[in-house]
Formats: sequence, C-alpha cells, structure tokens
Amino acid sequence: MENRVREAIARARADFVEVRWDEVAWSRVAFQRDQLMALEQSKEVGGLVRALVGGAWGVALLTDMAELPTQVEEATRLARMAAQHVIEPTQLADVPVEEERHLSELKEDCRSVPLSRKRAQAEEYNKLIMGYSPEIVSTAVRYTDTFRKSLYANSEGTFVYQELPDVTLLLAAVARRNGDIQQAFETIGAAAGYELVRGQEEKAEAAAKRAVDLLSAEPVKGGTYTVILDQQLAGVFIHEAFGHICEADFLFRNPHMREVMKLGRRFGADVLNVVDDGYIPGARGNAPFDDEGVRRQKVYLIREGVLSGLMHSRATAHKMGMDPTGNARAISWEHEPIVRMRNTFIEPGEATFEEMIKDVDHGIYAKAAFGGQTMFEQFTFSAGYAHEIRHGEVGPMVRDVVLTGNVFHILQNIDMVGRDFELIGGSGGCGKGGQSPLPVTDGAPHVRVHEVTIGGR
Amino acid sequence: MDLLKRAGEKAEAAELYVEHRDGTTVTFDGGDLETVKSESVVGQALRLIVDGKLGFAATTGRKADGLLEAALVSAQHGDPAPFAFPNSGEQASLGVYDCEVAELADDTLITWGEEAVKAILGEFPDVQVNVHLGRGKITVSVGNTSSAQRKEERTYLMMGVDAEWVRHDDIYSVHSSQTVRAAKEFDREALVADVLRQLRWGKDVAPTPTGEQRVLFLPAATPVVLLPLIVGFSGMSVFLGTSPLKDKVGEEVFDKRFSLVDDGRIHLGPRSSSFDDEGIPTARLPLVENGVVRGYFHDLRAAALTGTEPTGNGFKGGLLGGGFRTPPSASPRHLVVSPGDGGLDDLLREMGSGLIAQNVLGLGQGNIASGAFSNNVIGYTVREGKVVGRVKNTMIAGNAYDLLKKGLQDLGGESEWVFGMVHTPPLLFGDVSVVTR
Repeated sequence: MENRVREAIARARADFVEVRWDEVAWSRVAFQRDQLMALEQSKEVGGLVRALVGGAWGVALLTDMAELPTQVEEATRLARMAAQHVIEPTQLADVPVEEERHLSELKEDCRSVPLSRKRAQAEEYNKLIMGYSPEIVSTAVRYTDTFRKSLYANSEGTFVYQELPDVTLLLAAVARRNGDIQQAFETIGAAAGYELVRGQEEKAEAAAKRAVDLLSAEPVKGGTYTVILDQQLAGVFIHEAFGHICEADFLFRNPHMREVMKLGRRFGADVLNVVDDGYIPGARGNAPFDDEGVRRQKVYLIREGVLSGLMHSRATAHKMGMDPTGNARAISWEHEPIVRMRNTFIEPGEATFEEMIKDVDHGIYAKAAFGGQTMFEQFTFSAGYAHEIRHGEVGPMVRDVVLTGNVFHILQNIDMVGRDFELIGGSGGCGKGGQSPLPVTDGAPHVRVHEVTIGGR
Repeated sequence: MDLLKRAGEKAEAAELYVEHRDGTTVTFDGGDLETVKSESVVGQALRLIVDGKLGFAATTGRKADGLLEAALVSAQHGDPAPFAFPNSGEQASLGVYDCEVAELADDTLITWGEEAVKAILGEFPDVQVNVHLGRGKITVSVGNTSSAQRKEERTYLMMGVDAEWVRHDDIYSVHSSQTVRAAKEFDREALVADVLRQLRWGKDVAPTPTGEQRVLFLPAATPVVLLPLIVGFSGMSVFLGTSPLKDKVGEEVFDKRFSLVDDGRIHLGPRSSSFDDEGIPTARLPLVENGVVRGYFHDLRAAALTGTEPTGNGFKGGLLGGGFRTPPSASPRHLVVSPGDGGLDDLLREMGSGLIAQNVLGLGQGNIASGAFSNNVIGYTVREGKVVGRVKNTMIAGNAYDLLKKGLQDLGGESEWVFGMVHTPPLLFGDVSVVTR
C-alpha cells in the first residue's frame, strides 16, 4: 500500500501532488421509541488525489487502490486545464517534511466490542428514557463509533499515517402533553474507546426529566438580556461568534475582510482568551496532523481581548505571509481539505457562578446547545433550555431560547469569565462548505454577556 | 448482481442498493478559479432478513468485500423486520436524464463561473464572489430477492453563487443557487439577477420594524415554516407520536388557501426519480388540500408500522442527501405549495410596511416538532410598499402551525424552486414577532 502511494506520487507530472487514502470502520446503533432504526458495523475505503499545476488545483477521487495511477493523471489533467483560467496562482507556504506514524492508544477499542453489546447498552438507555414518565412519547438514542486510518503523502516527501478514533452517544427524549411536544437531549463524544459510553444512566434520566419539565416551561419573552451561558453553550457561542470568522479561507482573497480582521484589533475585554488547539488527549477535534500533512499548532485567536491569530491552510498562510497552523481538514476521503476548527475554547478566568449571577436583576441563564450558525458578522446559537434570572437567583425554566449577536459588539460585552472550565465533544459536529459533520470540540467556563438579543414574543 | 444472489442464499430475503456518482465540480473563490474536481464513486448498501430479523451494512467500491458478512452480523443481532421487501408494480419512467448535462464539457462550467463573476463585479466591483458549479450523473440500482432490479441514470446540474460585501464593520453576505436535471431548465441569468437584486436591496442598512409585524417570506426563507411540516407529515413521526398532525387526516388544520403536495412525479424535477431508494414507484401525494390534512408520506417501515401502503418516499440520507451509507427513511421528494396570484410588487403593496425575510440563520436548530421557530433573519425593511434597506441583528419568532392556520395573509402567484426540493411562492404572514438589539 505505502509503496504504491510513493510510486504513484513519484510518477506525477504536477508542480505538487498529494494523496490521502482512508480506511474507515464504523458502527452505529439507533433507537426511536420501540424501533431499532439502525444497527450496523460497516467498513469502507477511499482516496483523494490533489494536484497543483500552474497555481490551480485538480482533484480526483478513487475507491479502488488500483485506480491510483490513473487518478493521479486525472487530477493533473484537471489542474492543467484550470491553470489556463487562474488569475492569481495558488501557492503553498513552506512546511517541514514530516515522516510519522500517529497511533491511537485506547483503553477499550470499540472495534473489539461486539455489536450485540453496543446494542444492549443503547437499548438500556432507551428503556430508561421511555420508562421515566408516561409523558415521554418517543426517544432518539444513537451510539456511533468510527475508526479512521488515514495515510497522507505528498511530493515533498511528507508521509504521515494516523489513526483517528471517535465515539459518540446521543440521548434524546420527546415528551408530549395534549398538543404540545417538547424535546431534550444529552450528548457525549470523544476521541476515545468504548469506556466513554458506559455508565451514562444519569444523562439519560436528565434528558427525560428535562423534556417533561419543558412541557411546563413558558416560551422566553423576546428582548435584550444579560445572559449567563453554561460551559456547553458558551463553547458553541465562541465557535459560532468568533471561530468561523478566524478561518483564513474566508478572508485571504478579500482585502476588505482582511482589513476588518487585522491582527492586533481589540475584540473583547482583557478577561477574554480564545484558543484553537489541534491536540488535547481524548478530544474529538484532534488532528495531530491536518489533511495537508501539517503538524498541529496551538493558535491563540484572542489573547487578552486582542485578535492574535487566525487558522490557516498552506494556501491561506502563503497568501497572508503567515505560518500554516494545521487547520486544513476534510470530513472524509471524498472531500478536499478546507480551513476548519479543531478544539476551540475560551480559557478559564477567575469568576465564580455566584459572582456572575448576584447582581443580575433580570436575565437569562441559558444552558445546553441545539447548535448554531454564523454568517460572518451575525450569528445565532440555540439553547437546549434556559432559566430566567430574577433578582440574582435562578428562576423558572423557559424554552425556545435562541440567541443572536454581532461579532463586532458581543465579545466586548463579555464581562465575566468563570473558573469552571469544561471541554465538550458532543455527538454532532461542525458544517462548512458542504462538509458536515466534522468532529470538533468546543469549550468554556461559565461566561456572562450583556445585551444579548433573544427572539420571542 | 452476483452479490444479491449470494445474499439470497444466506438470507430469506435481501435488497441491494448500488449508487454510482460520476461528476465534475468547479469552485471559484474570490472570483478566481480555485479547484476542478472529478469524482467517480461507487457506494453499496445491503439489507437482509435472516430468521425474520433485519440487518444492514454499507461500503464503497465495486467489489464490496465483506459487505455480506457485515450485514449478516447486523441481522443476527437485529430486531424482527417490520416489513418485507416488496415485489412492487411497474410505473412509467419519468424524465430524469438529459444528454446535454451528461455531456457538458468541464470548460463550459468554468466559462459559466467566469461569466457569473464578471456580471456581479460589473455592478458591485467591491464584493467577493464565490461560485460553485457541478454536473454529473448518478446511476442508482435497487433490487431485491422478490422483485426485478430497477436501474436509472439521473443527471444533475447545479450552480451556487455567494457574494460578500464588506464595508468596514458591515459584512453583507448573499447567496443563491439552482439545482436542475436538464440544461434547458437551467437559468443562469435568473440566478445572477437574484444575487444582484439581494445586493441592491441590501445596499443600505435600515431600522428594523419591531413588535408584531407583517413578514413576507421569500421562497428561500419558507423552510422556516415548511421544515416543521416535513417532520409533521412523516409517517414515522406519526407512528412515534411526535407529530402534531397525528390523527388529523380530514381535519382543517391550516388556512383554506394553503395546499401542499409531495410530488415525486415532476418531469425533470430536481429530485425526481421513477422509484425511491427501496424500489417503490414514486407518486404524487397530496398532504394538504385547502387547509385539510390529506395524508402522510411513508417508507416501507412507516407504512408497515401504521398499517398502510408505502408512498414511494423511502430515501437514503434524509433531506440533505448523504446516500448509500444510511438506511432509507420516510422523506419528502418535492414539496410543492400551491400559489395564489399576483407578483412580488402586489404583495409588497398589500403589505404596506413590515419585513421581508430573504433567508435565516439557525434553520432547524430548535424544537422543530412543535413548530416553534426563532431565527436571525437576513432581510429587508419595507415602508409604503417599497424596500428601504437591510436589517441587522434581528430575530423573528413564532410557530409554524399557528401562522399557517391563523397568520397567513397572502400567497404570491409566482413560485420558485429553492434548495432543489421546495417549489413555493412567497408567503405573507401577519403577527410575526420581530425583535432587534
């Protein structure tokens, strides 16, 4: 295998060529109420060739290793055709030649756990949720594990083999009272083994209880509030509010956007530090090497409130005169790498939760995350549930809490950063450019933000 | 179909799905050609029934090594299959293939991209334009041990254009796209005109009208109210009890002017196919007629569980595709909302003042089943029937079921395709909550 890749690259007639070959094994168990919706353990292989000729990329896919030599030619042919149209040729920043094998170290490798056990575990959680209350009408319990063996090689001599494990668990409950339907969920995910998914009975019950509790909650009243975000929602917030706009592929060809995102610009108060890190033991967003064979860097996006770094691929780094950071990632062998986040978080501060809440007269304590979306300047993020804050204390539960903000204001409105940091890898992932879901983690302590707009009547 | 035969020897029943995607995509970033990509990918999925129990597995490549063995392991630990693989009747083939698209040269895609960039920069020289074009064909075959194999070649042609306009700390991003099966359905001029219209309408920022407002949802924003219905009309949601539309057949749940069809039989429709991913012929299925609920869409499982017939709505990968790796589930094909009459200008005049929703952020990120929505809106302020500028930092909120029952003020007369699956006119609602910073 390795020799075939080296040989095909040696014969390539492009300025630069890279080959990625993935072998992926996954299993999946899904229940909805009494229905086993999915039960499988499958395997697949596939590869991608990317060739650079005259500053233009050609890409070709393959599912059979025997096709590699012809697909190297195909990628080169496409690049050559594209080169005739390119105005400003793509160039790649220099990076060290890497030759490394990164092997996973797992406590309990999911591949050696029988499918029957995975099924039994998911079924147990499903029963716990269904049995919690007669008002629970349905569930969504989903277990997944993926083990990706990825081989990357390029014409500069880099040759990297990585093993990338991923395991997730979704525990969702749907409750119904008369016509009203509410749902709640707990998720976990990590670059870990099967041990992660055992012993999560408390989370299953928490999801069920919350779905029932939400039936009695009022919809939030729309308006502008002081908001305290829990660790999970604060993590999603920083991912949406600031992470995406620091992905250099959005701005490297856009002089106006580069001016807006100039290093040294102040975005927040001194208490704010934001990091994107390529490797934290066990974290879902890990990319020891990215899908361009670049070794991970830890990037400070914000240091003491000031923009201090961006996330790069080799092409964006070259154009902007920066160093690549190891952020060029692809969700699978079907896709070329684009600039993506990995493990993105707000570093812990000093505040306690009590200090944050005590002088909030009327606010919202928003918890858990449905997700979020960004369009550069504006973004939204949805809480799984929330409580009103009244006179410095946590009050009644409210639902349908979707928050919005503007990147040029909101980070300045963060005035307190907690000390209770958590890094959270859920069961979903990040979507961009048609590539979804990419495993990432988000993290933060509790964070207090003023003047956050929430939709509602 | 050697594999299906081998599977039939090990199992009581088997179904093999094979998908071959063959196409080219062209990507422009910042107005400059970045990548040309070709793909030729084979994916296969096998479902088995062994001792009455259902199994599933998927893989890539023609040889599909290990697929049968993996599906057997799945079946061994599976649950009793609620359905059998049917020997479904034949139905006339639909138009889903266009030679012109199949033979379109890669160079042509590049030229189209260059022309779109040029047209937009001609009027707005400071915007960054990104263009994504794709063409190709997908060959799908579905066969099972009690029915003949069905095979179909389907072509597709898509183009998406983004334009980002950055003026200091004001970033305005617009998007428009088209997905068609046949070249003659493809209208590049209309796509570029749509991008230019959004840029013109959003040139200036205007104050947001707040409180309970009239909101005109342009077709690209209608999924805010249609997405909950996709959950609600799913036979599986009805079975699970998570649909507010359960037991509502024959009841007037929506405004009398609202009619909705899931039409899988549109000639050359962007998602048309003669059969679904379980080999069942597609159909034209009325969901709402003059406000009255008429039925739900079903795959084999949902139909069996609710004691009815499949409607040809068993699709792999759900709404966004994703293909061979997932088992089929109950999904709509083309959601078609019956138009009213009058053009956009008539709607604006009728509206007087209010908000236009061009599209939204955070679609589907909330409790969709209940119909509740709360989204940041990319849109425009309307005064005296005229667009006066773009809103920022603005949220709209409401409930889709309530709006479609009591809040519908009018439907436009001109429908458009959006997201390659929804064909709808603009929808004007009253009493939508609007808040801003």
